[in-house]
Amino acid sequence: MFKELFLFEIRQGFKKISTYIFFSIFFFMYFLIGLISSGVIPIESGDSNVYVNSAAAVASTLIGLNQNIFGLMNSLMLVSLMANAIQKDYEYNMHPLLYTKPISKSGYYFGRFSGAFTITLFVFSAQVIGYLIACLLGTGNDQVGPFHLYNFIEPFLIFTLPNVLILGIIFFVLTTFTRSTLSAYFFCIVLLVLRSITDTITADIDNKTLAAILEPFGHEAFQKVTQYWTPDEQNTLLIPFNAEILVNRLLWLGIALGITIIGYLRFEFSQFLNPISFLKRKTKTSVVPTVASHSLSELPEVQTDFSAKSRWKQLFYLAGFEFKKMVKNSFFLIICAVGIGAMFIIYRFSGVIFGTETYPVTYNILEIAGSLFQFFILILIIFFSGTIIWRDRDNKENELIATTPVSDYQLFFSKYIALIYVTILLLFAIMVTGIAIQFTRGFNDIHILEYIKTLFGFRLLGLSITIGLCLALQVLTPNKYLGFFLSVFFTLILTIAFNLLKWTNPLYQFNSSGPVMGYSDMNGYGHMIFSFLILKTYWLAIVISIALIAIRFFPRGKETSLRARFSLSRFSIPKSAKLVFWCSIIVACGMGSFIYYNIKVLNKFRTAKQEKELLVDFEKKYKKYQCTLQPRIVESKVDVAIFPYERSIHVKGFYILKNKHNVSIDSVILNYNSEQDYKELAVAAPNIIVFDDTELGFKLVKLSTPLAPGDSIKLNFEFEDAPHGFKSKNARTTIVYNGTFINNSIFPLVGYSDKFELNSNKERKSYGLKEKPRMAPVNDSLARMNNYLSGDADWIRFETIVSTSPDQIAIAPGYLQKEWTENGRRYFHYKMDCTILNFYSFISARYEVKRDKWIDPLHPDKPVEIEIYYHKEHTYNLDRMIRSIKSSLSYYTKNFSPYQHKQVRIIEFPRYNAFAQSFPNTIPYSESIGFIAKVDDKNPESIDYPFYVTAHEVAHQWWGHQVIGGNVQGSTLMCETLSQYSALMVMEKEYGKAAMKKFLRYEMDTYLQQRTLEGKKELPLMLCENQQYIHYNKGSVVMYALKDYIGEDVLNNALKKYIQKNAFQQPPYTNSVEFVNALKEVTPEHLKYIITDMFETITIYENYVKALSYKKTAHGKYIVSLTLGCAKFKSDSIGKSIPVNTNDYVDIGIFALQNAKDGNTEKELLLYKFKMDQPEKTVEFMVDEKPFKAGIDPYCKLIDRNPDNNTCEFGKTPGHAELGAGIKKEPVKKKK
Amino acid sequence: MKLSITNINKTYPNGVKALDNINLEIETGMFGMLGPNGAGKSTLMRTISALQDPDQGSIQLGDIDVIKQKSELRKVLGYLPQDFGFYPKVTAVDQLTHFAVLKGVSNKQERKEIVHALLNQTNLFEARNRYISTFSGGMRQRFGIAQALLGNPKLVIVDEPTAGLDPLERNRFHNLLSEIGENIIVILSTHIVDDVKDLCARMVIMNHGKILMEGTPSKAIDTVKEKVWSKLIEKQELNDYKKNFVVISSKVADGKLLLHVYADENPGEQFEQIIPNLEDVYFSLITKN
Repeated sequence: MFKELFLFEIRQGFKKISTYIFFSIFFFMYFLIGLISSGVIPIESGDSNVYVNSAAAVASTLIGLNQNIFGLMNSLMLVSLMANAIQKDYEYNMHPLLYTKPISKSGYYFGRFSGAFTITLFVFSAQVIGYLIACLLGTGNDQVGPFHLYNFIEPFLIFTLPNVLILGIIFFVLTTFTRSTLSAYFFCIVLLVLRSITDTITADIDNKTLAAILEPFGHEAFQKVTQYWTPDEQNTLLIPFNAEILVNRLLWLGIALGITIIGYLRFEFSQFLNPISFLKRKTKTSVVPTVASHSLSELPEVQTDFSAKSRWKQLFYLAGFEFKKMVKNSFFLIICAVGIGAMFIIYRFSGVIFGTETYPVTYNILEIAGSLFQFFILILIIFFSGTIIWRDRDNKENELIATTPVSDYQLFFSKYIALIYVTILLLFAIMVTGIAIQFTRGFNDIHILEYIKTLFGFRLLGLSITIGLCLALQVLTPNKYLGFFLSVFFTLILTIAFNLLKWTNPLYQFNSSGPVMGYSDMNGYGHMIFSFLILKTYWLAIVISIALIAIRFFPRGKETSLRARFSLSRFSIPKSAKLVFWCSIIVACGMGSFIYYNIKVLNKFRTAKQEKELLVDFEKKYKKYQCTLQPRIVESKVDVAIFPYERSIHVKGFYILKNKHNVSIDSVILNYNSEQDYKELAVAAPNIIVFDDTELGFKLVKLSTPLAPGDSIKLNFEFEDAPHGFKSKNARTTIVYNGTFINNSIFPLVGYSDKFELNSNKERKSYGLKEKPRMAPVNDSLARMNNYLSGDADWIRFETIVSTSPDQIAIAPGYLQKEWTENGRRYFHYKMDCTILNFYSFISARYEVKRDKWIDPLHPDKPVEIEIYYHKEHTYNLDRMIRSIKSSLSYYTKNFSPYQHKQVRIIEFPRYNAFAQSFPNTIPYSESIGFIAKVDDKNPESIDYPFYVTAHEVAHQWWGHQVIGGNVQGSTLMCETLSQYSALMVMEKEYGKAAMKKFLRYEMDTYLQQRTLEGKKELPLMLCENQQYIHYNKGSVVMYALKDYIGEDVLNNALKKYIQKNAFQQPPYTNSVEFVNALKEVTPEHLKYIITDMFETITIYENYVKALSYKKTAHGKYIVSLTLGCAKFKSDSIGKSIPVNTNDYVDIGIFALQNAKDGNTEKELLLYKFKMDQPEKTVEFMVDEKPFKAGIDPYCKLIDRNPDNNTCEFGKTPGHAELGAGIKKEPVKKKK
Repeated sequence: MKLSITNINKTYPNGVKALDNINLEIETGMFGMLGPNGAGKSTLMRTISALQDPDQGSIQLGDIDVIKQKSELRKVLGYLPQDFGFYPKVTAVDQLTHFAVLKGVSNKQERKEIVHALLNQTNLFEARNRYISTFSGGMRQRFGIAQALLGNPKLVIVDEPTAGLDPLERNRFHNLLSEIGENIIVILSTHIVDDVKDLCARMVIMNHGKILMEGTPSKAIDTVKEKVWSKLIEKQELNDYKKNFVVISSKVADGKLLLHVYADENPGEQFEQIIPNLEDVYFSLITKN
């Protein structure tokens, strides 16, 4: 019986055209992705070390495309493939015929299910097949490794197969029991939420394991297992069946199995007559009709009114009717509830930096929590457009409606308006939920107006355009489901595809918004409103005209073919509709031309490719001047007039250029931004312009009298930088209404700069350029003649007059000499009293200022002024910042060297960038990092990152502005790593050692994760090529450990000496070799190996507890016995690890549990640096109290991919040590 | 007011000729359209209701050109299709109010009155707050007529309204239809002879898209007067009779077959002449074509 039903189901499945359509959709999607990633279609441009056909890459492609919109699409396909296996018998009224036949329940239930499952598996296999074929086509490209079939089969078996089974069962059982696919569709939405939530909760490092087990698709488990896989491991390893993946898969297969069994046991053939309903409805007793008492002739006379006014009334009545029908739908209510719930949950977990929350300012709520809800709105729009266009036909009410005297236009636009009502209601729900979140978090600074503008202005406008398109598509398509698909295709997939192909012109990107910038508390919506409205008008006009065309095909009456419908409506086109249609066309053309004029005529529209070609052109033409000796800037004096409300600046000033070489110089090379309007760019000496390439901004000037060694010359320049209309994308966020922040990189450069050259070697090759090292070698003596911040200057004198509008304050490095108002503008004269690097900024905004002083105990007569320029509402963390500045100044002046300036200023700038940056005595600091952080002082693990960021930036006044390395490998070690170290020390003084633990865990986690993404080479810390994960994240961990090994004072003394020797030096600049030598000098002989391990090589440990126990002695003491392991590996630039012998000093720690007021805390009983001279050792210690936990390297000072197994509680089984998986002990046979 | 249908033709894409050169003049009063399933009645009804365009021909209702002035027609049309349904979870009173708005009854008070009156008239007043989806077949049809009568229609078209109703409900429905005034045109399409016999002053019989007969029911009966003969036969004899006579109907009665045959003269063999009814007319026409 099972066999017959099963085979019948399969035959039916393979007969259906939809099976093949779904198969081809998957096939081509994955085929295309495969072609792009394997380089057959050359779009991906960055360098990469990983193969796209490794098991890990195949798995992440399969899993990755099960997220977000694609996950939803997969779920929807699953519903249509599997949910109906039994339900269809009911739908087509087959059940009375079937259930009276002598078929067994198990044969029917499992036969139907397995048949549908087999068909579904066939459809989903198209994913891996498509990707496999694309990879085969790419064989021979760099990114395609040797082919192994099992690299494709394994991920399919571990992920696709169970996922299809789990979801399939759930959909099948849900649909069978509720006798409606609606519940399955609803479950798709639940899954979407589940995915988003697991994504966000992993932002907190402690939740990763939990998410790995609970997330139903194995995505988080896969992430967790492979998170630290180096490129080499990604290329060679299969997906291991280890704890997380196994538990996750078993858990969900178990759930699926449970559902199947419950489903089977509960299934009865008689069930169909009584579907299980989630919402029990009251059934009213039927009323027996009585006999008519009147005659039809007694019917009251009514007036029918077909005036224009009455037609408008009809329109809004109908809209209201449709609206009520939609919102009374239980699907709608559930989605709303889920959306609101998801907003709360997601808000709880997002916006977290280092585990610390931000204040729920309105834009945060709108962006983080609202974006998911907005996705729901989009889904609801797509769903409801289908439902309401097809409702009349689905309920067979279409002929009744069609014969009433309402026009097609009224019918269509009433639905349009109704959907807008629904959208408004949903947006309102977002607003109310958002405000509720703010209140529940105790945040009362609520910007209602910002909610209204964002939601009911910007978002509603954009969504209205989408609604129009979806409705029009549903009118035109022959069935609802094709309509759904086309709606998803045009509103979501096409945009994603265009972005993938880098087709960015807003004229054909549906519903494009033009250049966008996020909302900033400082700058509001900024200047994007105008271009936004223009683009939305353009799209709205297009959609209205499409809708008016679609209405000609409105499904009125019985006709189904488009041609017949078109002809049926040919006599019913009102004049007004024609008028509106032509107006829309004119508006669309007009706006289109205006947009074209702005993006193509006023501005140069370049595709990503054209932009690259420009850089290539520049390099090919002018690289030859790189070695031409140039005079260097020794002074910069500029007048910068900022016009915030015109978003323009006017710069007039000069550089003094000095010939620092010992030969005379006869030509000056000037490199400038060709989009700026230059009035003057000339040396103040007789000269001839050899050429001036105004397109690329490159000018060569020949001096009539060569500049003798030691002589100077003045370079005058004046330019205006003003916006012309709007661009296609990339809103310019540097000069804005409130919060201008520019630096001297927009000023002319002297000489050829290689900063603008293409970096990706893959791209360089395709343009016929030579491979280029990311940075010059550490000992390159020529490169060390420049510091890594500036290629045309060393230390310069600086003076400026900045002017701005009278309501703003303008700030630049230096000390304020004078402030005055003239001609309705406010002027500030700043002058620096010492030489600085050629690195300065100009800032202007409406600021409040908070002032304080730090008094140096050694020099009480010379207080350092502290000033914070902040946006008036952002007062939350000002005191923390001031405290941090004071602590930093104390620590750095005491341990490193005196502070070279008399002032520290922090200046808030809009959140268009999320960084803080240190300029001489000036620290611009983004509003999004720190100013709105919500530090929980009661939680010892909550990291005070405003304090930390401030300390880091203040440290740059030493590391960067006193000592700066040459433009070679490893120089960021002396800048960023030492600033990290300095900030860590200040933090440790303030918050204690315990607070460092979580911070360092984040740093280690980030380092281990980011190194897996390295596209070129991972380098040891001292050769770091501006790789952030090395100089920040690894640097923190390494320096903290170094301090632990050699002692804080010893280390600081070395730093002090190093500063003394190198501060404010002239070229050649110092390098990391000098720095590491300075460390070696102070490191005792037996620890010298740590310098090699930490700075000169890439070293990874696997420390673990193998066994532990304790005995109580007669004297009330405890003897603890520990078996500990320490494996050590050296890694190469792509993460290939080789085990090396251990002979290292590692911490051993034993801890007791201590009762404290707020729960139990751990108390250190013993911490001891122990020499691990064998891979595993058993040791015994005696402690005074009852031990609770013990282990090796308990504070994770050493870099370890499995920090969790470093310690173990007594009585528990120690965690598994990964000596083989991931890191191979012996060279595994190299795959062919 | 007169409905003139001139030279209407309609062929469906699958090649079925649904309407074959139909010409009709329909005056006020109840007009019956009798024909078997698939005769083209519904196509004709829908064409008159402007739900479909004919391939050729014209339809004129008074001054209204039905094909070109669809919205004018809709203002005076009441239509009850053969196969229809209603939105789920909408009560009768809400649904009827909805139709009242669509039909242009814009005054709220009037709307309420007419809705209540119609529900009363169709015996649905007490069920007015029930969802229509819970109505029985007869109630649904009565509700259908109620919506068709909204907004002073000049032309009411009801397409197979009694199919599937029990005799009691059908009776009720007939009563209801008979109440519709004499001064508007009511077209009733049906395959049940009694519907036409009881209700219609004028009628046509249709089959294969053609009009086979037009006139009053009594005139129709006249066409077969003294030409219908009946006889009780054994079941197995039917084939022989079919070969030799024009059999217009055969009914089982007491284990035997009651045969009606059409013949201008007495066919002999113990056939008895009977007084024909409309059914004999209908069956004879259908059989002959």
